[in-house]
Amino acid sequence: MSAFLQYVVSGLTIGSFLSLVALGYTMVYGIIRLINFAHGDLFMVGAFLGWAILVPVLAANVPVALAVLTALVLSMLLTGGLGIAIQAVAYKPLLRAPRLSILISAVGVSLALENGVLLAFGAGYDTYPQILSFAGVSLAGVRVSYAQLGMIALSVALMAGLYLFVHRTAVGTAMRALALDQEAARLMGINVDRIILLTFFIGSLLAAAAGVMEGLYYTQINFFMGFLIGLQAFTAAVLGGIGNIPGAMVAGFLIGFLEAFSAGYISSRWTDVFVFAVLILVLVVKPTGIFGERVVERM
Amino acid sequence: MRSARRAAPGLLLAAALLLPVLGGTYVTDVAIAVLVYAMLGLGLNIVVGYAGLLDLGYAALFAIGAYTSALLALHAHLGFWFTLLPAVAAAGVAGVLIGYPTLRMHSDYLAIVTLGFGEIVRVVVTNLNVTGGPNGLYGIPPATFGSLELSGVRENYFLTLAFFVVVLWFSARLARSRIRRAWESVRQDEAAAEAVGVPTLRVKLAAYLCGALVAGLVGPLFAARFGAISPTSFTYFVSVTVLIVVVLGGRGSAPGMVVGALVVAGLPEALRFLQQWRMVIFALLLVGMMLVRPQGLWPAPRVRRDPFAELGEEAAEAGEPAAGAAAPGEPEPILTVEELTCRFGGVTAVDHVSLEIRRGEILSIIGPNGAGKTTAFNCITGVVRGTGTIRFEGRPVRGLAPHRIVALGIARTFQGIRLFKEMPAYENVLIGMYASGRADELREVRRWMRFAGVWEHRLALAAELPYGVQRRLEIARALAGRPRLLLLDEPAAGMNPTEKLEMMELIRRIRALGVTVVLIEHDMALVTQLSERVICMDRGRVLAAGTPQQIQADPAVVEAYLGAAGDDELSFDELAEERETALAWDS
Amino acid sequence: MGLLELRGVHTFYGDTEALKGISLDVEPGEIVSLLGSNGAGKTTTLRTITGLERARRGTIRFDGRDIAALRADEIVALGLGHVPEGRRIFASLTVEENLNLGGFLVRHRPALLLERREEVYGLFPRLRERREQLGGTLSGGEQQMLAIGRALMAAPRLLALDEPSMGLAPNLIRTIFTILARIRKRGAAILLVEQNARQALRLADRAYVLETGTIVHSGPARELATSPLVTAAYLGQPVAEPSIE
Repeated sequence: MSAFLQYVVSGLTIGSFLSLVALGYTMVYGIIRLINFAHGDLFMVGAFLGWAILVPVLAANVPVALAVLTALVLSMLLTGGLGIAIQAVAYKPLLRAPRLSILISAVGVSLALENGVLLAFGAGYDTYPQILSFAGVSLAGVRVSYAQLGMIALSVALMAGLYLFVHRTAVGTAMRALALDQEAARLMGINVDRIILLTFFIGSLLAAAAGVMEGLYYTQINFFMGFLIGLQAFTAAVLGGIGNIPGAMVAGFLIGFLEAFSAGYISSRWTDVFVFAVLILVLVVKPTGIFGERVVERM
Repeated sequence: MRSARRAAPGLLLAAALLLPVLGGTYVTDVAIAVLVYAMLGLGLNIVVGYAGLLDLGYAALFAIGAYTSALLALHAHLGFWFTLLPAVAAAGVAGVLIGYPTLRMHSDYLAIVTLGFGEIVRVVVTNLNVTGGPNGLYGIPPATFGSLELSGVRENYFLTLAFFVVVLWFSARLARSRIRRAWESVRQDEAAAEAVGVPTLRVKLAAYLCGALVAGLVGPLFAARFGAISPTSFTYFVSVTVLIVVVLGGRGSAPGMVVGALVVAGLPEALRFLQQWRMVIFALLLVGMMLVRPQGLWPAPRVRRDPFAELGEEAAEAGEPAAGAAAPGEPEPILTVEELTCRFGGVTAVDHVSLEIRRGEILSIIGPNGAGKTTAFNCITGVVRGTGTIRFEGRPVRGLAPHRIVALGIARTFQGIRLFKEMPAYENVLIGMYASGRADELREVRRWMRFAGVWEHRLALAAELPYGVQRRLEIARALAGRPRLLLLDEPAAGMNPTEKLEMMELIRRIRALGVTVVLIEHDMALVTQLSERVICMDRGRVLAAGTPQQIQADPAVVEAYLGAAGDDELSFDELAEERETALAWDS
Repeated sequence: MGLLELRGVHTFYGDTEALKGISLDVEPGEIVSLLGSNGAGKTTTLRTITGLERARRGTIRFDGRDIAALRADEIVALGLGHVPEGRRIFASLTVEENLNLGGFLVRHRPALLLERREEVYGLFPRLRERREQLGGTLSGGEQQMLAIGRALMAAPRLLALDEPSMGLAPNLIRTIFTILARIRKRGAAILLVEQNARQALRLADRAYVLETGTIVHSGPARELATSPLVTAAYLGQPVAEPSIE
């Protein structure tokens, strides 16, 4: 029983990273129908930017909490800006081209980001300073560190913020409208290009937050770290019904649990098989994902 | 010019044969990599380029081919050539297995499922003992040719080149086949392809199979050349690289695959002088090339050849072609619809509709836009699924796939023309014949194109044709399947009076062939003069049915559709009053 | 000077010329109807005016300003509303969210937004009853009301409507047309694309008749309503056409 609960905690932790990254996939897909292959790499860039900011700031004797906050916020903003630049330069000119062209452009961006970071920071692992303590609470034999709680809380807070933004503000509503019917959205006086850029900004920003958190939590970062989480987050986005924001959040945690349980009860070597097998089964039964809607085509 | 084109393949082959002599080991090595990627590109091109299915797990099929061959060589001591067939078969089975569950998925979902499949294969291979785990298999014997061991770079190059020629031949055969057109139709407009008779699920499965066969053939070559394989040779990145070959090279284009392979396997080599900047620059170049040439570096050329040029005339073709077999005027119904209902969201588009269509008649369905006329067509042709009963020639057809309904003898056109726009006109007509699978296709195509008066436009791309010609081409496509019932959705919409007259004439000639014609139409003049019977629909229901004269005299029809001035109507005076009334929110 | 002025507008879909030199005017406060059969170019005309399609040649002026090169959202911001064909409401958003999107341009002025929403609810009490319901669950008539209400949220000076009567019962059509009369009373001009020509001519001041991308008739609505040519081709009264057979 306590092992089970321990896996739940671990699943929540993994899921909180995954959900944040999955949101970026799903938002971008919802709005321009692009599988943004470079998204996992924005997570990685976010982790590196956070590290590059955190280390010198800490060295300048800034209090730890403030330093972490600075690194987190700056990394989120910078990565968000990078997301905007990528959309404007590499994707926007191809929005009307065949859909595979923009996909390959995204692959190119992904390669460029990975190799750019490789060039700047080297191929080895860089290490976040060990800031988070292992202190925590034990409840019914389950250990939860404060760091884990903090991560989960921050990620849930960011997601709640996004949810409120998308559902309670005019611009957020415009974003949803755009995903439903771009042309009708134009007729509402919505500047579609600007909303698309905003979507990239928010998606990248959330990925960067996850990246910094991952760096703080696991301390090891590497230019290739975006690949696996990108794959899993993409899976979560599809599982949740790609384009569906709450769906991505829920499915992110779902995959977190799947990973934790399969690693705990079976073997971490088989985790991916397990995750993808579930994905394929779900899609066979419900071809548009768990929360996806059916599209009716007119003739 | 023509002689140059004919000499080109020979010259290229000569250059390819001389390459290992002129270039050194390094160049030959790179050339092998280029050929391997070109072959994989040709294989994936079938799936992605022709059928338009986004496959991100192609490396898994390549892996299955390689591992099958290696295992058979190591454990069953089969010679290289004997492992080929099992390897190709294993990959083919895997291709069908992964293809099957994805058939009903939207292409983006397909991407993740194929990607997942690729990862599953990689993880399984990494974790099983029989496949050597993460270290993979080694000591795989090289290919042999007689008593000669093909272990050197140069020998391997020639072996690879031979394989490449085989794959190129296979790909060229497919490119000229009937199924390639079916793939194209699925890629351009899957719903329309199904609705005009292409069994889209089967056709897509065939694309997976053909793509997998190529990967299964290349796998053993790869294993035998290096003597060792491990899971790292078959990662997701390999799948993506092959996808780059296809898209960057130019979807659907065989030379494009070679160009794409040159870029992904050759360009990083050429950029070695950039040292550590190499991959960043390569990645940026990739984005740049996509931005500059979204269609690919060597897109498939447009074929201008006239396939009818060598086709002789036949005396039988002089007359009108024969279509439906039945004699006109038979009283029995060809189609009966009972209690048909179809709902979308909150709207009931078709609401308990019952109607009967008599063999040999021209029947018009009228009614305001949004009355459910097109939805009724969609139900009859299986495009949407309603409830109720639909019988065609006594046989229940509701719930059948659209292509099966076409094969039974119901053809249709669409309100918003749904031609395959990037195909020449005559190929559109060929697609219309897909369901019937008749031989002597070109003659038949010529017959129907002449019948519909679009023969002179046969080689133009459908998208380039004038509007009226597109409408008639769509009818030719529908007729090519030799239907007994033809459903025309606003065939005369957007036409000028002359074109409308021609359309009426065409519809009469179609009926004269014995084909029953049902048309949705708004032009009452046309309806009255053309049809024996008229059905008026409004808000999902059949309001009235009868002769054109009866319909026009029916008060319900007049109110709903023709909109005569009655007591119940908004009058000019009322409106004038509205204009005068001060409204609370005006101030 | 007219409120809206089209001169020699040509629009293409690929190589197909859908509009072959359309010229038309809408004066302030006027209801102008655009008639013609399906495929004649009515919808394309509206789409070209509001920037959803680009005119290849010709000028489009709104309030004296050339709008042919502007984006759709910029044109809407100038006061030219468009209720598109098929309503195009946002099906998975609530009625109120749909209306708020219509008022996107005044999102920073909550008081004004509220005021306009109240106006729309006043005009369409049904929408107030269903404000929390998802757009996709509304009936066809309610969806049309929502589409019109949504466009009114931007307080347009010219409202272009594409077949608002489509698929509606006669009494609903009547309601919609009465509302259009009221909207004009408020001062907005209306450009009405209709297939239901009789109804449209009853409401309109003037009308244009389109045929294969060209304007073939135009004039005061009352005259067109009685013109035999128009009656023959577009009002569903077949006349003996000697040219046939």
